[in-house]
Amino acid sequence: MNNSVIRFILLYVVGFLGLFLMLPIFVAFIYHESVWVDYAIVAFPCLVAGVINSYFKPKKFSFYLKEGFFCTGASWVVLSVIGAIPLWLTGEIPHYIDALFEAVSGFTTTGASIIDNVETLSHASLFWRSFTHLVGGMGVLVFLLTVIPLAGGEGSQFNLMKAESPGPSVGKLVPKLKNTAQMLYLIYLGLCALEITLLLIAGMTPFEAINTGIATAGTGGFGIYANSCAGFNVACQWIIAIFMFVFGVNFNFYYYVLFHHARDAFRMEEVRMYTLLTLGSIGIITFNTLSCSAGLFDALTKAAFQVTSIQSSTGFSTADFAVWPQASRCVLVILMFIGACAGSTGGGIKVSRFVLMGKAVHKELISYIHPRSIRKTLMDGKPVNHDTVRSNNVFFGTFMLVFFVSVFILSFENLDFSTIFTAVIATMSNIGPGMSMVGPAANFAFFTDLSKIVLIFDMLAGRLELFPILMLFHPTIWQDLFTKRRSKELEHAGKIFKNK
Amino acid sequence: MIFGSSQKRGLKIIIVGCGKVGRTLVDRLSKEGHDIVVIDQKQERIDNLTNLYDIMGIQGNGASYSTQVEAGIKDADLIIAVTNSDELNLLCCTIAKQVGDCASIARVRNPDYSKEISYLQEKLGLVMIINPELEAAREISSILSLPSTLEVSSFAHGQAEMVEFKIEEGNILDGLTIKNLSQSSSSKVLITAVKRDDEVVIPTGDFVLKTNDIVCAVGARRFARTFLNEIGFKTRQVKDCLIVGGGKASFYLAKLLLQARMNVRIIERSKERCEELSIALPKATIINGDGSDEALLREEGIEYVESFIPLTGIDEENIFLTLYANQVSNAKVITKINRISFDNVMSQLNLGSVVYPRQITAESIIAYVRAKSASGDGNDILTLYHLFDQRVEAIEFNITEKSKATGVPFSVLQFKDNVLIAFINRNGKIIIPSGSDTIEVGDTIMVVTTHTGFATILDTLR
Repeated sequence: MNNSVIRFILLYVVGFLGLFLMLPIFVAFIYHESVWVDYAIVAFPCLVAGVINSYFKPKKFSFYLKEGFFCTGASWVVLSVIGAIPLWLTGEIPHYIDALFEAVSGFTTTGASIIDNVETLSHASLFWRSFTHLVGGMGVLVFLLTVIPLAGGEGSQFNLMKAESPGPSVGKLVPKLKNTAQMLYLIYLGLCALEITLLLIAGMTPFEAINTGIATAGTGGFGIYANSCAGFNVACQWIIAIFMFVFGVNFNFYYYVLFHHARDAFRMEEVRMYTLLTLGSIGIITFNTLSCSAGLFDALTKAAFQVTSIQSSTGFSTADFAVWPQASRCVLVILMFIGACAGSTGGGIKVSRFVLMGKAVHKELISYIHPRSIRKTLMDGKPVNHDTVRSNNVFFGTFMLVFFVSVFILSFENLDFSTIFTAVIATMSNIGPGMSMVGPAANFAFFTDLSKIVLIFDMLAGRLELFPILMLFHPTIWQDLFTKRRSKELEHAGKIFKNK
Repeated sequence: MIFGSSQKRGLKIIIVGCGKVGRTLVDRLSKEGHDIVVIDQKQERIDNLTNLYDIMGIQGNGASYSTQVEAGIKDADLIIAVTNSDELNLLCCTIAKQVGDCASIARVRNPDYSKEISYLQEKLGLVMIINPELEAAREISSILSLPSTLEVSSFAHGQAEMVEFKIEEGNILDGLTIKNLSQSSSSKVLITAVKRDDEVVIPTGDFVLKTNDIVCAVGARRFARTFLNEIGFKTRQVKDCLIVGGGKASFYLAKLLLQARMNVRIIERSKERCEELSIALPKATIINGDGSDEALLREEGIEYVESFIPLTGIDEENIFLTLYANQVSNAKVITKINRISFDNVMSQLNLGSVVYPRQITAESIIAYVRAKSASGDGNDILTLYHLFDQRVEAIEFNITEKSKATGVPFSVLQFKDNVLIAFINRNGKIIIPSGSDTIEVGDTIMVVTTHTGFATILDTLR
């Protein structure tokens, strides 16, 4: 593996983290809070490391799939480990594992919290929690690709984007990777700015609007109030609901709409299915909860908010859905598994995977009826690579494996099944609140450290779609990192030999 | 700040066909910063490229309207069709012309069309038709006209010639500085680049030449030859030629050599092809047999032949034949390599002259693209030529307008390091520049440099 490129990218990420940490410092100054010191202590070394690093460019920018995956996995771990330090230093979260849980939950846009009452936190920390969602939503490496001078490599940095962007097959929008990444961020930040503006108009304070806006954009879910979004007026709730839906749509859709391919946009099967699922679920839940709410409109508002929140994997809440009727809760749990569209900022298994899976099942069925029939799976009118279908199946298998192992480990907590089951899926799908004891009115603070570590792993694995994180546990990778250095020595020895 | 693009705007280029030439083009053009979309029928071949380079790939038939639209033909600047089929390439370009009104380049290799190239190009509105086999044949035949050199290439419409040769042991150049050379020799040539061991330098006046250096010299055509004579190289062209393999390149080469009144023999395995060749080339001797058969080669007198050119479709076979010929005879051997790209290994094998058809093709396309991205039309660069495994570029610029570089004596102009003005072509007269010469509008000038990506003469200045 190309160690120097890996070092370069990891430290580049650290440098940017330092830059990002400037923002909470700024917020602390506005609200005259003393916590800025704690943020500065972390931000400064990060910035220095980043600046020094930029002077030592690697000689070879060769970049292949394994480097891409390794870098992505490692970057996220580094990001979380460092991003958690200021939360811990301020003393607002006294235990480091808890701070790490909170930071990972932020970066992976999960929104699961271990804090009992968020209203006691400083503004700077509240902002930092929300801001991690913005960073993690579209991905820090995709952000890196918009600025990093990585041109001239033999391999392609596309592998970084492949590893970080969710979905069964990642494609480019325009030929150049840098432009693709810029386009994605332009859409992402543009939509985010639009939402913040609308929230301001609807009557939020700027701090509320910005925090809620960026937390929605990343489909995160950290609220700044203990009751999440229940305190906002109905207009704000609808705006948030609509934008949660919007950020769960595949971003290719917006690219097509913006750049005159509107016909291609509305032909996207995934977006259609996603819309259908959302509307269907809202319908079912509205009628199911009609009896326990104040009228049809109230039921509709709450259902729409909760469905978009869960499906897009945001995790905001306006009602304690853990006490809703069984059918509604069941719909929500199913939505937790399905998740948002591929290529969005949302989590979960992704709608397109389910669409592909459905087609594969259909194909299998047909092959029992007409054993000699040949049928190529199509998606958006185009044939799907056999490899894509295969890796889709493997993803399902791996997801389930990781899921059940996590549930098993958590079962030692001796809690009810619904709690541990939804705790794991809510973290793996990067949603946030689950049911029962981890419902929207509760938090994750009561778990033991072991369980928290498992859940931290689940959040990272879920956000990066398993393999970049699982790869970090494969011994070959570490051996490879070590071997490279040895082969260089050999090369050197060879040169000396030659000169003699 | 993040989204403000500071980089030079690249052209939007669509390449149809991901074969050898397509791949070479992607490699070179993506490094020059253009937006590239490739189209191919096979997903696998696209994936191979998109995994390596920063480009986008679309699977489909490049000649179909919808595929081209998907690839963004409407805002494309250039389409290059290099699929296996000549007809498909022409169709691609014709459709692209109608849909997107972009410049188009097609590869057309079939000898049936080769006479009609200029007609096709004009009627179909293509900016360029490329024929790698013909280009390779041209290059081989120009080396055969000066067999003691490694490579010969002509510039300024044949007025100037660049020769590449190796300083053998005992040559008078050994130990000479460049300054002394220009004083002692009566012929005006300029040493533009020297390769020693694995290093390539653009020499200054104090540079000392040594045995085993590979030297590149430029001068007016007749001077180049007298210069070679003076330093003890033979400048007589070869009389006969033995070609192995009867493909398209062999056909073009045989045709060129027969025009130069050489004696040509072609060994070809397939009887059918032999018959076709004997009809197309009545003056050549066509031999039906296996060219990699040692006995047959001896029977055809490989020991005594003056030049031997393996042109089979298999690179490894060509290399083997070259090594064999170098062992048993004194013939001038030129190797054609299509696919293999192990430059380091190849330069250690001491093959002598090597011709890479895909690179010759890529060069002319890159010259066009570079000029087009700089000025909008494609006329600023006349020729682009690569030396020493693409580490040195020789570029011939057309000076069409007044600029900072024109009218100022060279002694005043501030050139970048490793930039050398090799000659000025003023109305057909080749001038080797000295400090008092100037560049004028209407000249063409040749720049030799280790930099890459020069698109206008202004790029050479500090």
